[in-house]
Amino acid sequence: MMAGIQPNKADRDGFLPIRTNGFDRGFISVVILILVHLLWMRFLEGLLPLWVATVLCLALAVFIIRKG
Amino acid sequence: MRQSNIGWLFLAPATLILFVVGFLPFIYILYVGFFDWNTNAVDPTLRWAGLQNYRSLVFDTTFLNSLARTLVFAFFVVISELLLGYILARALMADRLWGRQFFRTIHTLPIVVAPIAVGATWRLLCVPGFGIVPYYLKLWFGIDYNISTNAYHAFGTAIIMDLWHWTPFVTLSLMAGLTALPKEPLEQAQIDGGNKLQIFWYVIVPMLKPVLLTTVFIRLMDALRSVDEIWMLTKGGPAEATRFIGLHIWINVFPKTDYGYGAAMSLLTLYVTIVLSWLLFVAMTGRKGGAQ
Repeated sequence: MMAGIQPNKADRDGFLPIRTNGFDRGFISVVILILVHLLWMRFLEGLLPLWVATVLCLALAVFIIRKG
Repeated sequence: MRQSNIGWLFLAPATLILFVVGFLPFIYILYVGFFDWNTNAVDPTLRWAGLQNYRSLVFDTTFLNSLARTLVFAFFVVISELLLGYILARALMADRLWGRQFFRTIHTLPIVVAPIAVGATWRLLCVPGFGIVPYYLKLWFGIDYNISTNAYHAFGTAIIMDLWHWTPFVTLSLMAGLTALPKEPLEQAQIDGGNKLQIFWYVIVPMLKPVLLTTVFIRLMDALRSVDEIWMLTKGGPAEATRFIGLHIWINVFPKTDYGYGAAMSLLTLYVTIVLSWLLFVAMTGRKGGAQ
């Protein structure tokens, strides 16, 4: 009954607190990218331009996808 | 023809429909969200705005308050419907209940009523000076109930209306799930001396997880996009006490014809819905990793 939502063999343990597959890590990266950009526009854009957030998030995305 | 090709052939119509009615509108909304487009403006054409709509959104207190209000509404609604739905499901499955079949039939009637009719009915029930709810609350308890002037009354009524409308759906889903549960683990737990609470928490809930998860997903997504019922009940008032996010988007997109800003709001709401659903999925399926 639970087979449809059980982790499969492609899942792996990384530094993230859950077992993830490639899609999960990509999804988490996109979610963080959007969240950081929204928060940056709200609180930090007066001090630092938005492309800084983009560069930081892309670096984080690469790290999550490889090591997450 | 190979087996996989036949599979894809069967899937093709559904995939095509999903692509046309789901994916293409999403891409279009994504596109419009980057433009300033108001057909009632001096220049009614699409003008490139980049991230300006999103920049305005994060400073728009009306939007942020609507979003927060919607999340509170969804939280109360989903939790209450799950609890009530489970209690009703167990009650309607009990052999001792007299007239069980009759109650099973009539308790599902609210589901088939159109949301706009539900809103209109509840408006008639609750409208001050006319509805029976304020009349009897005043007569029996001395409560001055008024959804047109009291924000708490309006918000509470919106929650109760949603409970009335959608609890039967949760009850039906849970009844289906409970009926399909195997009897052996429950008997085993009883033989091992488990009390009712332990059996519920350690046996029934884990076995019922897929049904619970599906039901919560459906109800959460529905609660986050409530529009027509609320519009009929309070029109988002008093002040903005029941202006939930769906209603707020509707007001911006249709009466104000601010399509670009409306598209940005819709996308941000979709983002919140997807993230909440995913967090819920991860929490309920318990995908714990080595980092814990």
